[in-house]
Amino acid sequence: MVESLRLALAIAAKDLRAELRSRTSFLSAAMFAALLLVVFNFARDPTAVATIDLAPGILWVTVAFAAVVAMNRGFAVERENHAFDGLLLAPVSREVLFLGKYLANLTFVLLVEVIALPLFVLFFNVDLSQALPGLVATLLLATAGLVSVGTLFSAIVVRTRFAELMLPVLLLPFMVPPLVFAVQITMRLLTGRALSEVAGGLRLLVLYDVAFITVSLLLFSAVVDE
Amino acid sequence: MNVDPIRAQILIRRGWRITLAALLALAVVVTLAQRFTPTEVRQGLAQKIFYIHAPSAWCAFLAVGLTGLASILYLWLGDQHFDRFAATSAEVGTIFCAVVLTTGPIWGKPIWGTWWTWDARLSLTLFLFFLLLGYQVLRSAIRVPTERARLSAVVGIMAMVLVPFIHLSVYLFRGLHPTPIVLKPSAPSLDPEMLRTLLISFAAFTLLYVGLVTLAYGIRLAQEAEEQAHA
Amino acid sequence: MPETPSNGGYMVAAYVVATVIYLGYVLVLWGRAKRIERLKD
Repeated sequence: MVESLRLALAIAAKDLRAELRSRTSFLSAAMFAALLLVVFNFARDPTAVATIDLAPGILWVTVAFAAVVAMNRGFAVERENHAFDGLLLAPVSREVLFLGKYLANLTFVLLVEVIALPLFVLFFNVDLSQALPGLVATLLLATAGLVSVGTLFSAIVVRTRFAELMLPVLLLPFMVPPLVFAVQITMRLLTGRALSEVAGGLRLLVLYDVAFITVSLLLFSAVVDE
Repeated sequence: MNVDPIRAQILIRRGWRITLAALLALAVVVTLAQRFTPTEVRQGLAQKIFYIHAPSAWCAFLAVGLTGLASILYLWLGDQHFDRFAATSAEVGTIFCAVVLTTGPIWGKPIWGTWWTWDARLSLTLFLFFLLLGYQVLRSAIRVPTERARLSAVVGIMAMVLVPFIHLSVYLFRGLHPTPIVLKPSAPSLDPEMLRTLLISFAAFTLLYVGLVTLAYGIRLAQEAEEQAHA
Repeated sequence: MPETPSNGGYMVAAYVVATVIYLGYVLVLWGRAKRIERLKD
């Protein structure tokens, strides 16, 4: 069990190291998130609609799109280098391989969120003094679920033509439930409600995470094995 | 694995027969709905759209459910028939979804005052429509048949797991956005004649689903047999 | 007794749209079947 975890972390680490060495995709994803926030800012009329009404939606749409962009890189690089085939030949269980990829993707997307959140606070004048712990929890939970589906689907689309288009097309419907739950929670947190009031929403996120991390894990071998 | 062209022809013929029978049954349903079913007093004639809208929705859900089931069976048993069935049911399901998504707003406008209201059934059907399209787009992007079968089965299963969460999301979303309802829709006090027409309609549409799937499956089989013969 | 609204136009539209979609698909299938027949010769 511990061995598997260590193996997964090793795979994740290798993945991330390769990623951060080039930095291209991380910068692209971070810039994409920043630009989205800027575009959203200009796409509204602050005198007509209160910021607080739009802010949660803007935050989560940004997170969702940035996550898709970030996960697109997942298997593509390896396909080019045939490194993935090497990994498949190694005596690593498919579940551990999934876990490794998943952790790498998760870290990557969370890093993008670390860039996006302060920008969000800055551009939209959001007061996070009360909301921060709840918001961080929501970001972690929502991202955990999104990335599990994204990791599985990245593995699927890498074998198709137009992979970059295929991933959002398949992934976006799966992003709607965590987005809906997260926006509900964020709206309550930003209007000063107590953490206890968002417990229901957080529970729904956990439910989604448990369901999809499990199913993605189980289906991964069907995707990568002939 | 060898595809039997004769079986394909048998299925095509059977599919035609069932489909034609279903179309006839539907003609009867339309006549019943128009001539022999009372008009709902508060909703007017537009309520009669219900007799084609609701059964189409049922068939759409049936189609999606069977695609999901076939996906699971394919991954488990590896039989090509399941993959072929899943693809066929997905295509037919898309047609039923299209009807639900068009008749729904046409019914909604006079009854609710707006074309679209994010009501539970319509929203779920919209998502299923996107999932079915995504499934078929994925299939069209993979050349190798075994890979296509395997990967689309995975997506089919994931879509099944998603459905209850979509339901939860729509429910949550609607709870915060109550729609201005002009008249109370969808479940009028069902007159026995209305119930009769509705039930016959459900039967006729289900028959249409069976006919279309049999026909489309047979055609798909015949196409494969053709490709095999000319390989 | 509320007056029954006159919205028969919507009903006709819906029935027509549904018929077009279903028959359209049947036509598509017919076309596919025909193409296979022709290929055989």
